[in-house]
Amino acid sequence: MSRSPTAVAQRRIQSELRDWLQHPPDGCKLVQYEDLRTWVIQLLGPESPCQPQLYTGQTFHLRILFSERYPLEPPEVTFLPPSPVHPHIYTNGHICLDILYDGHNGGWSPALTINKVALSLRSMLASNTDNRRPPGDADYCARMRGRSPKETRWEFEDDSV
Amino acid sequence: MSDYGDSDYDMGGSDAYSSGGDDFSYSGDEAEASSPVAKGAKKSFVVLDKEELRERLGAGVSQVVELLCISDAEATRALRFYKWDLTKLQEEWFADPEAVQVKVGLVDEQPSTRRKEEVCKICFESFSVQDMACARCKHYYCKDCWRGYIHTSIESGPFCLDLRCPDPECKAAVPRRVITAVVDAAHQERYDDFAINSFVDDQRQIVWCPAPDCQNAVMSMHDQLGVAQDIFCRCGNAFCFNCKEEAHRPVDCDTVRKWMIKNSAESENLNWILANTKPCPKCTRPIEKNQGCMHMTCSQCRHEFCWLCEGSWAEHGERTGGFYNCNRYKRAVDKGEVDEQEQRRQHARQSLERYMHYWQRWAENDTSRKRALRQMEAFKSETQELISEYTATPVSQLRFITDAWMQVVHCRRILKWTYATAFYAFADPVNATKEAKARLAQHQEFFEFNQGQAEHYLEKLHGQVEKQLNTFVRPPPSPPEGEAAAAGSEAAGPSGRDQQGWAKFREQLIGLTDVTRIHFEKLVNEFEKGLDEALKEYDVPMAQASTSAAAATAAAAAAEEAAAAKAKAAGKAPADSRRITRASKRRQGPVDQEQAAIEHEAGYWQCSHCTYANEAMDSQECELCSQPRGATR
Ligand SMILES: [Zn+2]
Ligand SMILES: [Zn+2]
Ligand SMILES: [Zn+2]
Ligand SMILES: [Zn+2]
Ligand SMILES: [Zn+2]
Ligand SMILES: [Zn+2]
Ligand SMILES: [Zn+2]
Repeated sequence: MSRSPTAVAQRRIQSELRDWLQHPPDGCKLVQYEDLRTWVIQLLGPESPCQPQLYTGQTFHLRILFSERYPLEPPEVTFLPPSPVHPHIYTNGHICLDILYDGHNGGWSPALTINKVALSLRSMLASNTDNRRPPGDADYCARMRGRSPKETRWEFEDDSV
Repeated sequence: MSDYGDSDYDMGGSDAYSSGGDDFSYSGDEAEASSPVAKGAKKSFVVLDKEELRERLGAGVSQVVELLCISDAEATRALRFYKWDLTKLQEEWFADPEAVQVKVGLVDEQPSTRRKEEVCKICFESFSVQDMACARCKHYYCKDCWRGYIHTSIESGPFCLDLRCPDPECKAAVPRRVITAVVDAAHQERYDDFAINSFVDDQRQIVWCPAPDCQNAVMSMHDQLGVAQDIFCRCGNAFCFNCKEEAHRPVDCDTVRKWMIKNSAESENLNWILANTKPCPKCTRPIEKNQGCMHMTCSQCRHEFCWLCEGSWAEHGERTGGFYNCNRYKRAVDKGEVDEQEQRRQHARQSLERYMHYWQRWAENDTSRKRALRQMEAFKSETQELISEYTATPVSQLRFITDAWMQVVHCRRILKWTYATAFYAFADPVNATKEAKARLAQHQEFFEFNQGQAEHYLEKLHGQVEKQLNTFVRPPPSPPEGEAAAAGSEAAGPSGRDQQGWAKFREQLIGLTDVTRIHFEKLVNEFEKGLDEALKEYDVPMAQASTSAAAATAAAAAAEEAAAAKAKAAGKAPADSRRITRASKRRQGPVDQEQAAIEHEAGYWQCSHCTYANEAMDSQECELCSQPRGATR
């Protein structure tokens, strides 16, 4: 007997929530999960192993939107403004990171969890030394006004910045 | 001509070119006699339908499974990685198996779980291990999650063929048994289609038939890819393996492309030619061309003329000894002295005229070919039954009519392209030496002579199958009163006289189809060989031949003698006469009274050279080929 995708999503999100509340990842705090489909996570700027310390002491907010086909479909993950200055993060909060997207060059897998996603993002910040936005940031934000980053055709670089 | 390239071959799902076998090979047996291409052409491609593609793909995968002891999914992935090149995969595998395994993502077999239950890493629920599945990596997921995962992947495109275990760190290929165990029929079909597409798209020697509704692929066995190759798909589409345009032998792909670009650039200038009416050259009554052959008869004054050059048809006939002549482009002669500007204008006009000449013949032959295709379809779907009834001939024995139509279609296409190629091949050479110019002129003359001859037979064949055939699409006249009673049941059948006419028509059409094929093969072969080569072989002093038709005829006759002699020396009959011998086998034997009686009965005599049925009983020369009656070569 097969289950409806909505029911799978519901149960899966509930289990992830339970796990998160028991073992929250380092530097991350769940600040909103009332309707279960929208989470807001507070991300503490990581201490970098090298200079300059770009994010130390700052806090950022991640918004997670789950679709009905979660986890077969990736969640929509964006930074709420102000987003961290990073060569892979746009001013509007869109993030260029392969695990957040599916399709043939995307890296999303249904075996990934929000816990792992949050940790990946924190390490992405921790390893960065380049205090600038992606090229074409202003254009991109103007073009994408109000649209989901899932509509973008991302090209991912090989290096794991 | 923007509509060029639309496949008019797929009309009515015609099996025009299918000749029984899949492989387009000619063993010479009767079942394959219907192909428009000469028999004996070496087998150089195979048409594969979906089922056959599936079989070939499966066979390739099984081979790798056995050879490398890996799963079918892994074998598919490995083959895909090496573009289905088994040899390459094999070589690299035996040279460095681990490197290949990493490249294609093969992982070591992991031990199975000892537990009875596992948590599915997608839905986070516990299941009995029996209700779960995994790849070699032994990452277990429940069947519902597998289904969701695989369906999602199939829906997102052909990369599902490289599907990995859902674990983000794991590269294990998802085995086929897992896929087939969980997906529904529709997804399975899409998955299989992706595999077949990859099998075709990733291999240089296989292409899809470009006809819009055709699902067949074609595998070329040509040792040289990247050059033009005519393909005849089972759906009836004839296309070039290399450039996917309509088949265009003997012209190369570059010329075709150049010609099509030129046509679209000149389309404005060409519009006026597209008009389908012309005034009769004699009485100026507008005449609409609604038949494919170029031989027009004005319904008003009965003037017979040629649609292309508007010259009298009598001048195109063999009676004048002039052969078909309107394929030749003759440049208007400059008259008197003119100033420089006028000269430039003249030059521009001439180059446009020259292009028009070739374009018009190219386009008319294309139109003719399309119409012939439609007529062939109409014959097969409507007329055939009627003719079968009226002539008391079983449909199975009417194949010769379809064969004739196919020959017309095939030859119209060849002829069409010879005009495009002539446009480029015989353009006024800039800065050429006198000798080079003379040689080119010689080539052009030789080519145009052969083209004209081929065209002459094609017109004859086309006219025969288009017009003569219609005379049999009405019931035979009933026999006179009184005889009817005596004849009894035979009264319903065709009268003896009609039966005679029918037999003659049949003989003529078969003969003409053969002769036309021979001439076009000759034309194509010469062109492919290169005109220099072709001329040399005939060893004819063309340099001395003037432009007169008589000289050309003499040259061609000499050429045929030479070819025949050469073939005889090689211990075999020349291709022409061999074929003709076959066609006229029934008529062989000593020409005796019996023979004369048969001919008298039939009301015609058949030319032993070209098989044409001559009606002029006391003539000693064939009306079609001018060979003496009864001459055996
Ligand atoms: Zn599951
Ligand atoms: Zn795995
Ligand atoms: Zn086809
Ligand atoms: Zn081509
Ligand atoms: Zn007229
Ligand atoms: Zn003409
Ligand atoms: Zn003859």
